[in-house]
Amino acid sequence: MTRLRRPSAQTVAVVLALADTPAAWRYGYQLCQQLDIKPGTMYPILMRLADQGLLETGWDDAVPAGRPPRHLYRLTGSGRALATELAAAQSAAQSAAQSAIQSAAAAPRRTDPKVRWQGA
Amino acid sequence: MRWTQRAFQTIATWVAALVCALLFVVALVTADPLPGPGEAVDAAARMAILALVWISAARIVLQHWWSGSGSRLSAMDPPARLLTAAVAALPERRREWGMAMTAELAEVPDRSTRWRFAISAVRATLWLPPAGGWPLLTLVAAAVVASVVVAGPAVGAAVPGLAVFAVAFTGLVGAMALRAVVRPRRLRLPVLAPSVLVALGVAASIAVTVIFLRSEPTTVEYLPPADAVFLAAVLAACLGAAVTAQRWLGTNRRAAHLGAGAGAAFAACFLLEIRIDTTDLTDTVKGLFTLPLVPLAIVLFFLPAVVTTMIDRSFRSGVQAAVWTVIATVPLTYTVWLPEGLRRHAIDGTLLDGAAGPVGTNLADARWALAAILLVGLPLAVIVAGLAATTRPAAAPAR
Repeated sequence: MTRLRRPSAQTVAVVLALADTPAAWRYGYQLCQQLDIKPGTMYPILMRLADQGLLETGWDDAVPAGRPPRHLYRLTGSGRALATELAAAQSAAQSAAQSAIQSAAAAPRRTDPKVRWQGA
Repeated sequence: MRWTQRAFQTIATWVAALVCALLFVVALVTADPLPGPGEAVDAAARMAILALVWISAARIVLQHWWSGSGSRLSAMDPPARLLTAAVAALPERRREWGMAMTAELAEVPDRSTRWRFAISAVRATLWLPPAGGWPLLTLVAAAVVASVVVAGPAVGAAVPGLAVFAVAFTGLVGAMALRAVVRPRRLRLPVLAPSVLVALGVAASIAVTVIFLRSEPTTVEYLPPADAVFLAAVLAACLGAAVTAQRWLGTNRRAAHLGAGAGAAFAACFLLEIRIDTTDLTDTVKGLFTLPLVPLAIVLFFLPAVVTTMIDRSFRSGVQAAVWTVIATVPLTYTVWLPEGLRRHAIDGTLLDGAAGPVGTNLADARWALAAILLVGLPLAVIVAGLAATTRPAAAPAR
């Protein structure tokens, strides 16, 4: 199995969306709608994740007559491990960003030179 | 416009007629000297027959295609048709991915969203990363460009008159190599012997052309640039069809073996006829031997299409056998033609048809033979396969 080196923001979103309900099979179009990602972006991501052994795929034959079977996706064990890593990294990045904002708010404000000039 | 079988057949008829008319006009305008009215009428009649043959073959192919996947395709709306066509061009390793997108499109309800879905998905299929990776693609592209640049001057210096052929052939084979890197198919050689036979035939065709031009350097004028490109395109197409495991050519071992065998037998009949014709036997004895060879060669040419269609009960298999027959017959017949032309001319100063003429005419005649096998032999073999398909036993009624 090859682990993703630097997953794109969209790949992270797909992995995390699949990790919301790890046991459930999901459709590609369903994920497109949920994440507002175009199919031309979504399917290459799903294809790469499946190639890397992070996604399990299957066919849903329980479709109305005359329609082709739909492709299904869910995370494998490795995919779930990656999702946990990504979620942890994301929350760490969020808390780092939050603390940066808080420390910036706590620091003494520098007077805007334009404002100072206007006040002069 | 409703995409019915009739609509497809009408389009195919017009396309075949227009292509033949265009070919006729180009041939007429570029003829040197310009033909007289009588010759022009004769040529027009021949072109009309050719058009009829192609139209008949195209209509038969369409009829069989329609009974298979064609009617399903016509029942789709334009976005589904667009996506299905794009998915059909995907390499096998990505077929499942394409089928997944097609299946999801069926779930998309409104027309504008369907168009957006299909266009986005088609864009993804077009920008599929090469399986070998971008560095390999760059490397192969650089090698192809370098080969094309070097081939012209190098071959031109060794064999004057063959530079254009070398550039065209190298470029076309290079393009096939690039395509193999971009869209690799699963490596499979289920029909090794026929593939090797055709590849050897193409190599031999090039070799005999080199030998011919080196033996008779003054015959260069019989291989003008346009004809050199034509020869390169035909030989490259034969090579490409035989060795790149084309999906449309299938993996039907019987079709490949029978087709390649028939090609070899056709070339052998041709060689035998020439050899008998140049012996010291009397004309009556020669006729006794050569007379059955012509119909035998014709029968051999069409036999694979008929036999494969009937045994496999499949028109598609018959067409595959016809294609294999053509791609084997073309290089092997050419390989026989040039050395025999040289030999015959050295004996009595005549061409292979017995007429007196400059030895270089053999180059032009051999190319005409290739064109005839391709333009007349192939559609006729398809028609024969279509006729054989009509003799299939009717399927048992469903219970």
